[in-house]
Amino acid sequence: MTLIAIGKWLEERVGWRAVVELARHKTVPVHRHSIWYYFGGMTLFLFSVQVMTGILLMLYYRPSSEEAYESVQFIMTRVPFGWLVQSIHSWSANLMVAAAFVHLFSVLFLKAYRRPRELTWFSGVFLLFLTLGFGFTGYLLPWNELAFFATRVGTDIAGAVPVVGEGIVRFLRGGPDVTGATLTRFFGVHVAVLPALATALVGLHLLLVQYHGMSVPPSVAAQAARDGRPVRAMPFVPHFALRDLFGWTVALALLAGLSSYLPGELGVKADPFAPAPAGIQPEWYFLWTFQALKYMPAHVFGVNGELIAISVFSLGGAALLFVPFLDRGPRSSRLITWAAVGALVFMAVMTGLALSGGKTP
Amino acid sequence: MNVRHAISGRHGRWLGPLAAAAIVLIAQISLRAQASQPTEAAASAAFKADVHARAGLTCESCHGPVRARSGGGAPVYAPIPRRSIAPMCAKCHSNAVYMRKFSPRVRVDEYAQYKTSLHGKRMAAGETRVATCSDCHQAHGIIEIRDARSPVAPAHVARTCAACHADAARMAPFKRSAEIPADWSKSVHAAALLQRGDKSAPTCSTCHGSHGATPPNVDAVANVCAECHVREAELFRASKKGALFAAMGQGDCIVCHSNHHIGPPKDAWVGLDEKANCATCHDATIPGADTINAVRKGFDDLALKMNGAKDLLTRAETAGMLVEDGKLALHDATEAHVRLRVLVHAFATPPFDAVLKEGVAAADKAGRLGDEAMAELQYRRRGLAIATLVILGFLLTLYVKIRRLPPV
Repeated sequence: MTLIAIGKWLEERVGWRAVVELARHKTVPVHRHSIWYYFGGMTLFLFSVQVMTGILLMLYYRPSSEEAYESVQFIMTRVPFGWLVQSIHSWSANLMVAAAFVHLFSVLFLKAYRRPRELTWFSGVFLLFLTLGFGFTGYLLPWNELAFFATRVGTDIAGAVPVVGEGIVRFLRGGPDVTGATLTRFFGVHVAVLPALATALVGLHLLLVQYHGMSVPPSVAAQAARDGRPVRAMPFVPHFALRDLFGWTVALALLAGLSSYLPGELGVKADPFAPAPAGIQPEWYFLWTFQALKYMPAHVFGVNGELIAISVFSLGGAALLFVPFLDRGPRSSRLITWAAVGALVFMAVMTGLALSGGKTP
Repeated sequence: MNVRHAISGRHGRWLGPLAAAAIVLIAQISLRAQASQPTEAAASAAFKADVHARAGLTCESCHGPVRARSGGGAPVYAPIPRRSIAPMCAKCHSNAVYMRKFSPRVRVDEYAQYKTSLHGKRMAAGETRVATCSDCHQAHGIIEIRDARSPVAPAHVARTCAACHADAARMAPFKRSAEIPADWSKSVHAAALLQRGDKSAPTCSTCHGSHGATPPNVDAVANVCAECHVREAELFRASKKGALFAAMGQGDCIVCHSNHHIGPPKDAWVGLDEKANCATCHDATIPGADTINAVRKGFDDLALKMNGAKDLLTRAETAGMLVEDGKLALHDATEAHVRLRVLVHAFATPPFDAVLKEGVAAADKAGRLGDEAMAELQYRRRGLAIATLVILGFLLTLYVKIRRLPPV
């Protein structure tokens, strides 16, 4: 049976030529902001790297407080190329979070969330939350001292929520404190729950992106209207696809370099009975919340400071999610842009302060 | 910075003398405070927190009933003469039946011990400047020994003794050196107790006794040290040196280690060069010089291999390699090194050689694993260089392909 015959056989059953036609006719706008289109694909590429390296790590990883640290140590020292896989998984996670943030803010600033792309935006914001969830749950898995105490501090924050806070903490930890039970449930969430949700959402996100096509920024569309000509576009295949591939290859080279020259340290095995060491910090993408919580006074007008901070963060998250509905005209659109700039500056300053060893708890 | 980091870091050099000065200073202050009689109000206030007050005792229990002042005014409690303090305390503290009410395991031999101490003997002879119960335990604010705030809790014993023993004017009539507390504070024992917080580390009372405080005689020093350094003492006693020292009336341990200012052990103490302790009595012409040289060579060889391995492992670890196995082997070598320092007390090569062999083998293994880690590192870097070249080639091809695409 030749390839053509196989293709015909499959066409009768799944209609794959429709996809080819779609790719053939799909175009991508070309303008001065086109560079930001590549970060969505970059995030997807890094997600694929995470899935592949994660599956390889799962072959040796053991999710129990007695064996987790030793199994990661085994992967890093005994398994052929285990150090590389582990290191790539760790670096790719960081790059993926960075790419996701860049993608989200570029969409926000270029107003690509507007009608009819509200659902694309929702699925994207949820995907960012899931990415942060991947980071939070994955951080604990090597069961080292830093991860253990950072998880204890991180899960403690939920305890400030009135009435249900204590219950949430117990649910997250699988008990009153971070133990082997926490590790087991974090592992389950990290390798089963989050990937399932992420895969579904990525599928929906991609489908919507294909359905609506790439968004053209309002300023570019207005300029084209003024000039009386359509916005330039390039074919998705091969023009955009090859450029995307170029970006992915650069990311791969960066991953290889970082993993070989700056491999992650395993640190010391977690000891739940040991005092918390100095310099406990979460991953860099949570540093800004961590630092902001440090600056909160214990009480503000009699209300728990931590609770106020959590409320503000939650409102910020909700506002981010409902941005398409808050943007109701040029004025609110400008307000959203400035709010996003403010949020970015705040996050950068807080992260900088945390990295420079600002106020300690 | 915590204390442990401070002593192990570059500040460690000045922490010893600083601790010594602090002990002497605090001791002098507490001595002055002690020398003045407390007012009745101050005594009453201090007594409220006293363990005796909690046990239901009152001022009358020790002082007897109040007495009228000779010049009129409110009646007062009579002070207790220093010679009467210990017998007065002993009325209860030597009474096993009475004391058992408070604690079934409480000691009742303190006064008996005190009478055998130099303090007790001199006090009995009429010398009231020597220490009695209230000098160490305080008079009105007595705290249980197991309470960390007590002046006789392990961390505070040296300071309490130094109140008198670091005072040159006070020690002069007794022809005692006032340098001893300062000497001890520079020792490994003081560092362990005061800086590392190791409550089992020896302080004054560990070697001299507390209530029966007396300097150990020369022939008893080894017994005192052997309380903790069991294996060293066994080896020493079984060695030819042990019998020789006994015959010469030498003070065993203190000949090499001194008594109060006991420094951290060094390999260089063994040998016949000028700085070595052995050279104090031995030179290259005496029988046994070969043994001394062999032991020293063993230490030097092991140290060289351990330092080489440590350097390699550190370099590999800094470069991002996991060297846990190498560090474990180095730990074994370090452990063998510690055992060798104990075995030196046999003053012979047979037990030393076997452990030296183990140590050298462990250090060699650590070095080999360090070499392997460095080789693996080079392998990874070569691999990365090749992978980077391949990726760059692919990128170049893509770039050319993109440039050749028809314009949009």
